[in-house]
Amino acid sequence: MNVFPPMLSERLFVPFLDEVDGTLCLSAGATAAEMTAQATAHRLRFPLLLDESLPLKDQVAATTHAPASLRFGPYCDNILGMNWRLPSGRIARIGERVVKTTTGYDWLRFLLHSGTRFGEAVDYVIRLRPDCGFTAIAFFEGAHKALQTCVSKLLHSGWMHWWDAVDFITEGTASKVRVVVHCVLEEADIFTRQLELIASSSHAHLILQHHAPPPLDGLPDLVLKTTTDRLADLAAALSQEVERSIALCYSGVLHLYLKPGEDLAERIHALVQKVAPELHALGGDWHSRWLPAMPPTVTESAWIHTLEQAIHDSTTS
Amino acid sequence: MFTSPAQLAGYGADGLGYKNHLPDAVVIPADAEELASFMKGAKALNVPVILRGAGTSLSGGPVAVQGGVIVHTSSLKSVREIHVEGFWCEVECGVALNDLDAVLKPHGVFYPPDPSSGPVCTLGGNVASNAGGAHCFRYGVTSNYVLGVEAVMLDGSVHRFGGPAGGRGLWREDWKRFMIGSEGTLAAFTRFWLRLLPLPEKVWTFRATYPDLKSTEAAIHALVAHPSYPAAIEMLDPRGVAMVESSQMACGLPEGSFMLLVEIDGPEALVNARVEPVAEILRQAGSQDVMFSDADDIRKKLWKARKASGGLLGQLSPSYVVQDAVIPKRALAEVLQLVYDEADAAGIRAVNVFHAGDGNLHPNFLFDSRVPGELEKVELISKHLMQRVIEVGGTLSGEHGIGNDKSSYMPLVFGPDSMRLQLAVPATFNPAHQMNPLKVFDNRRFTA
Repeated sequence: MNVFPPMLSERLFVPFLDEVDGTLCLSAGATAAEMTAQATAHRLRFPLLLDESLPLKDQVAATTHAPASLRFGPYCDNILGMNWRLPSGRIARIGERVVKTTTGYDWLRFLLHSGTRFGEAVDYVIRLRPDCGFTAIAFFEGAHKALQTCVSKLLHSGWMHWWDAVDFITEGTASKVRVVVHCVLEEADIFTRQLELIASSSHAHLILQHHAPPPLDGLPDLVLKTTTDRLADLAAALSQEVERSIALCYSGVLHLYLKPGEDLAERIHALVQKVAPELHALGGDWHSRWLPAMPPTVTESAWIHTLEQAIHDSTTS
Repeated sequence: MFTSPAQLAGYGADGLGYKNHLPDAVVIPADAEELASFMKGAKALNVPVILRGAGTSLSGGPVAVQGGVIVHTSSLKSVREIHVEGFWCEVECGVALNDLDAVLKPHGVFYPPDPSSGPVCTLGGNVASNAGGAHCFRYGVTSNYVLGVEAVMLDGSVHRFGGPAGGRGLWREDWKRFMIGSEGTLAAFTRFWLRLLPLPEKVWTFRATYPDLKSTEAAIHALVAHPSYPAAIEMLDPRGVAMVESSQMACGLPEGSFMLLVEIDGPEALVNARVEPVAEILRQAGSQDVMFSDADDIRKKLWKARKASGGLLGQLSPSYVVQDAVIPKRALAEVLQLVYDEADAAGIRAVNVFHAGDGNLHPNFLFDSRVPGELEKVELISKHLMQRVIEVGGTLSGEHGIGNDKSSYMPLVFGPDSMRLQLAVPATFNPAHQMNPLKVFDNRRFTA
C-alpha cells in the first residue's frame, strides 16, 4: 500500500547553480561559453567541452566522451539530470540534481545518447568541478614507439588520475601526444617534473605551454569506441583516410575528423564498414552525426516498441 | 535445490533483517549454462524468481516477498580475465568484491567501488543495486565502471550488452544502462566486464573532530570544493563514535564529537604536497583535533572502525533500519537535525555514519521489531525524513537500492510521465513481474 499518493505533476528542474555541490541547471541549448561564464564566477568549471560556441546538446549528440573524460568520465557521468521533452511536447523529469542515485531505472544514461527517437533534452543538470586556476598543455613529440611508451607511462601509474587528458593526435603523417594538466599554481612544478621525467625516459621531446586555455577540438565527424589497448592500432590503421584523429587514450575513444565534402557521409560509411565488426566484437560501437544510427536488431525492435508505446501512453493519458 | 525449512531459513531475509519472507525453494546453478537453462524453465514454473548473491542488500532486495524460487549465484565465482593494458576485467556474478580486489592488486590495478560489505558481497549484487562505498566521492559508483553485462532473460535467451570496450556492441541502444541498478527485476546477470584504474601510490587518512553539526558541515563544504579532490569524506556522529569506542573496534576516537574521516590519494610527490592544505581546511572549519597518517596500520584501524559500524549496529539492537537518501550538501545539518529531533521525540535511537562528500545519508534507526509500535515509529520517522529529502532536492537511495523497503516512497520522486517511463522498463523485459516482484515499485505484483 502506498504511503504517498501519486503525484499529479512532474517535479521539473528549474535553473539553479549550487556552488556547494558544484551543480548547474541550464538550458540544453546553452553554449559552452555561457556555461563557463556561470561556472567561473564560483571558481567552478565543466571540463568536458569540445566547442565553445555550440550548445552542449550538440556536443552530447556528437560523442559520448571529451578529452577530460580521462579524469571525469563520459558525459553520462557528468550530466546528472534533465528536463526531457517527450515526442508529444510534454516534459518529464529524468535523473536527479545530486551526484549519486539508484532510485529507479536509469533512463538518464539510456536517453542521453539515444538520438531523438524518444524525445530531446530541454535542460541539463550538470556536475561542475573545482577550477584550480592553472592549466598547462604538454605535447610529446618523437618516434611512434617513443610516443606509445609515453602514453603507457602516463596511464599506467598513479598519475593517471590526475591528468585532465592524455590524447594521441595524428594529422597526416605527424603524430604527437597531448597531455592537459589542470591544477593549483603551487603544484605546477610537481606536474612539470613528472612530464619531464616521462619525456626523458621515453626518448620523446616535450613542449610545455603554461597558462594555456583548455583544448577545444570541435565536434568529431565519426566516433569509434574500442578498448584502451586497441586504440593506437585503430588510429594508425585509419590515419591515411582522415584529416585528423584524436585518440582519447584511457577512454578507448577515437574522434575522427574528415575533410569536408559532398561525399563526406559516403566516406564515413566506408570507414564504418571497415572497422565495425572488430568494434562490435569487443562490445564497442561507432557513431556519426552525419549518418543514421544502426538499425535495431529484431530483438530490440520489440523492446524499443514497448518503450515507445509507454512514452506514447504518457503523452495521451 | 533446497526445499526443507531448515535449509530455506538462511534465505528469508537480507541485511534488512527484520523483514522475513521464506522462499519456496532455493536453487544453486553450477554455472552460467545451468542458470540459463533454469531461467528458461522458470517461466513455465509460473512462480516468482529472485536472484541472490551474498544477501547483504540493505533494502529488502533479494528476498521472496511473494514466495517463489531464489536463485543463489554463489557458484559463478570465476575471475575470467584481467587485461591490464586495456584496463578491464571479466568476472562472473558470484565473485566477492574483496576477492576481486585481491586478485587485481598484484597487477597494479583496482576496481574502485567499495561498499562496507566488501568481504562477502558479490559483484552481481553490486551491479544489481549500483553499489557505492566510502571512496565513491571521487571515484564514482558501480555504474561508472560497468563496461558490459551478460544477462539471461526469462525465456532463457542470453544477451551481451556492451563488453570490454564499454559501448553498445551490436545494439542500437545502450540497454546495459537499464540493467545496472535494476535490482533483479529485469534479468539474471551471469558475468560483467568492469573498468579498472591504476592503484594510487600514496594514501593519507585524516581524522578531525568537531563540536557541532554546523562546523562539521562547514568542513565538508570546504573539502568538496578543494583541488585535492579527496577520495573519501566520511562522517560519524557522536553516537556512532560512542558505538565504535564501546566495541572491540575501539581505536581511541575522542567521544562526544562529530568526526570526519577524510582520505586523499595519488602519486607520492603530489599527495604529500596536499597534506598540509587539507589539514588546514579541517582546522579552519573549527577542529582543534586534526590527526593524519600515511601509516597502514593506523589508516586500516580507522577504516575498520568505519566499515564495521553496520555489524556493530546489529549487535546493539535486535532490529535496525538504515536509510540511504542523498541530499544537496547545503542541507546536511538541517536534515540531520530533523533525524535527531524526530528519533529522540519517538524514543528511537538514531546513529549517523555516512558518506558526507556525496551527501549520502545513512541514518540508522535502532529498534526492536518485537515491541508493538516500535516499527511503526521508525516507519513514521522514515516517512518524514524522505518527505524532507525530496523537498530539499534529494533522492531516496544513493547506493542501496529501493528493494521493498523504500518502494512505497517512489510516488514522492516520480511524476505521472516519469512514473510511466519507469514502469515501461520492467514492462519491456519482465512484463508479468515474475522476476523479483514487489520490489522497486510496490505495484509490481506477479500474477501467475
